[in-house]
Amino acid sequence: MKTLIYVFGLVILPFFFPNIQQKQTIATDCSKETGIAKVVCLAEAFKATLQEEQRASLQLGYSKNDAIKWSNLPEFRPTRVGLKMATLTADQRIAFKALMSAVLSTDSGDEGYGEIESAWAADDFFGEKTGKSDMFNSGMYFIAFLGKPSITGLWELQFGGHHFAFADTFDKGKIIGTTPSFRGAEPSIFEYKGKKYQPLEQEKLAFTNVLNELTEQEKKTAKISFTFRDILLGPNQDGKFPNEHQGIKVGGLTKKQQNLVIKAIELYVKDLDNETAKIFMKKYTDDLGNTFVAYSGSGNMNQVSDYIRIDGPNVWIEYSAQPSRDFPGKTHPHSVWRDRKSDYGGN
Amino acid sequence: MATQFLQILNQRTMNFNKIFKIFSFLLPLWGLGGFYLFAHPMPNSIVLLNIHQDKIEGKIQLPLGELQSAIGLGVNDNTTNLVNRLGGTIKAYLLQHIHPISFDHKPWSVNIGDMNVVETANKVTGDYKELIVAFSMQPPQYADLRNFYFKYDVIVHQVVTHKILLSIKQDWQQGIVREDSATQNVGVIELDIPTGKIKPFQISLQAGGNWQGFKNMVSLGIGHIRGGTDHILFILTLLLPAMLLVEGKKWTKFIGTKNTLLNILKIITAFTIGHSLTLLLGSVQWINLPRKPIEVLIAITILVSAFHAFRPIYPKKETLIAGAFGLIHGLAFAETLTNLQLSTKQMALSILGFNVGIELMQLLIILLVFPILMQLHKTRYYPQIRQIGAIMMMLLALAWMIERIQDKPNFITELIA
Repeated sequence: MKTLIYVFGLVILPFFFPNIQQKQTIATDCSKETGIAKVVCLAEAFKATLQEEQRASLQLGYSKNDAIKWSNLPEFRPTRVGLKMATLTADQRIAFKALMSAVLSTDSGDEGYGEIESAWAADDFFGEKTGKSDMFNSGMYFIAFLGKPSITGLWELQFGGHHFAFADTFDKGKIIGTTPSFRGAEPSIFEYKGKKYQPLEQEKLAFTNVLNELTEQEKKTAKISFTFRDILLGPNQDGKFPNEHQGIKVGGLTKKQQNLVIKAIELYVKDLDNETAKIFMKKYTDDLGNTFVAYSGSGNMNQVSDYIRIDGPNVWIEYSAQPSRDFPGKTHPHSVWRDRKSDYGGN
Repeated sequence: MATQFLQILNQRTMNFNKIFKIFSFLLPLWGLGGFYLFAHPMPNSIVLLNIHQDKIEGKIQLPLGELQSAIGLGVNDNTTNLVNRLGGTIKAYLLQHIHPISFDHKPWSVNIGDMNVVETANKVTGDYKELIVAFSMQPPQYADLRNFYFKYDVIVHQVVTHKILLSIKQDWQQGIVREDSATQNVGVIELDIPTGKIKPFQISLQAGGNWQGFKNMVSLGIGHIRGGTDHILFILTLLLPAMLLVEGKKWTKFIGTKNTLLNILKIITAFTIGHSLTLLLGSVQWINLPRKPIEVLIAITILVSAFHAFRPIYPKKETLIAGAFGLIHGLAFAETLTNLQLSTKQMALSILGFNVGIELMQLLIILLVFPILMQLHKTRYYPQIRQIGAIMMMLLALAWMIERIQDKPNFITELIA
């Protein structure tokens, strides 16, 4: 009898100390897991830190209809699905960071997981500068599990906000899609709370290097005569890839020129965790001969309407410098990485 | 239903808007909802169409930043005197890029009208400058005005990320006639990215007809009274003393139910004849008075008839005065119809329909209010009720008058708005 009371006491004890219970869940050890199993483990761990209501926002069924709900605009009207970051407690944020760090590179700075933090800082900075903090702030970001995280079924880890969209799609324990992946920056370089941020400057520089290395003749071939005030394949433009590639074929370029194109692609793909980045870099490098580079505008990538595109059998990257709407005279880049075959995991 | 609408528009966007049809169940869904649907960080062009019997008129809103990207000339950097300096060049450019053609490929004629520059504030895109261009287009003889290809690629022929939102502002046959500035989105002209082409936009307007147009005018008439507190109150001031006899410049005893009803019938009939007459004259533009004095005059009619309800100033002449006041109210009704540019038949049907709507609504108000007044009249407080009611209406009429003269609301009009 005594033993029974003891056991009963032990069982109900955690209910009197909900905080202890939560701490225990956070401490879920996923370090022994690797690859997708680790992502699933961390996803479950994050979910376990949430309140019932938060969990209901986070965990949705898989549907393409929800998968396409990303945007390059702030939440002017309800657009995105999922759990709003503003509702997260400090502990829940730790679990969030652990999860996202497993699917993104952790090099810090303005790439990988660091790029999320620079996107947040950009919105906080923008909101404070323009007095529009109600729309532009780091809390207006959303995370959603479309489908239950598992190493057997189909699911997507979706995360995004104003100038950020992340979409890893998994099926049967494999990663089957990492796009559409959107990045933007306004302002493009800024200092916030003593730290300097430049979310898309690296990309811009890499593209400038690609163009500068082309000969005059090659640049002529690469140039599109139309004007771009934004990217073509932004949100809601799924599957609308041009039937024909435009610009100059990378296969005909020198090794040095080709390497610069690879460098530019890497700035998108290597935002992801090493393992995933390797898979996609291999595919895109194999495709390189049949990949095209096209640009429009001044070719310096720093003027309004400067535009560049890398378009291959699989890879599709666009970068567009559009006019800043709140910082007159400045540019404000939008950029998207898509994949002709594996956007939304091919769904 | 809203989702249905969104889905339909979404599908259209995906199918590149080849064909659209406006179904009557979509009609209540107006407004700018569609703008957010196509929300895009860059400002869009907007083309608004008014479908008339023999031609289509419209307005084009061109964001100057985008136009400058397409044609240069610094049209956004320097907007001083823009229309004087570059109006001709811009007009020639527009004519090159607006080509409506019939289904058998016969070109329509296109005319570019007045242009002016305005500043536009938008929550999504921020503030920007726009060029507003009036234009009209007419099909060749025997060609269908309601079915044609709208080949339009202003700006987007060069700026491939540009989008043109196409809306219908007025189409009498389909019953699309509104007093406010709401429009109905019908689609987007944009680059078809896979082919790299801008496909001609096929416009196929659903055939409506006279009955549809008439019905819409009836509901417009009903809405006009329902939405106009001043008209409702005016009718109330007419009713307040309708059951009383005038003796020695005072409202005194009951004149009997039969006489009361007869009295009301006479007053309302006179009012109706009055406003029908000016509605007719105003609609065919035989008389055309500016809006402001009419609105002030209406407030004065309320003031006068409210005073009359308080203390009789024109006893036995109620019918005549109601007729005269009707003339003034009819001018305001005519405002709604004058700018529609309808054909004679459509105009006749509109006046009739609009009047029927006004009449129906007036009748409803009388049926609702008069039995209550008759009951109140049986209590011994009716003189006080009538007097307090009349004073309140006088105050309100004064407030309206001041508001309409000053062009800004005051605390009383804000209270009842």
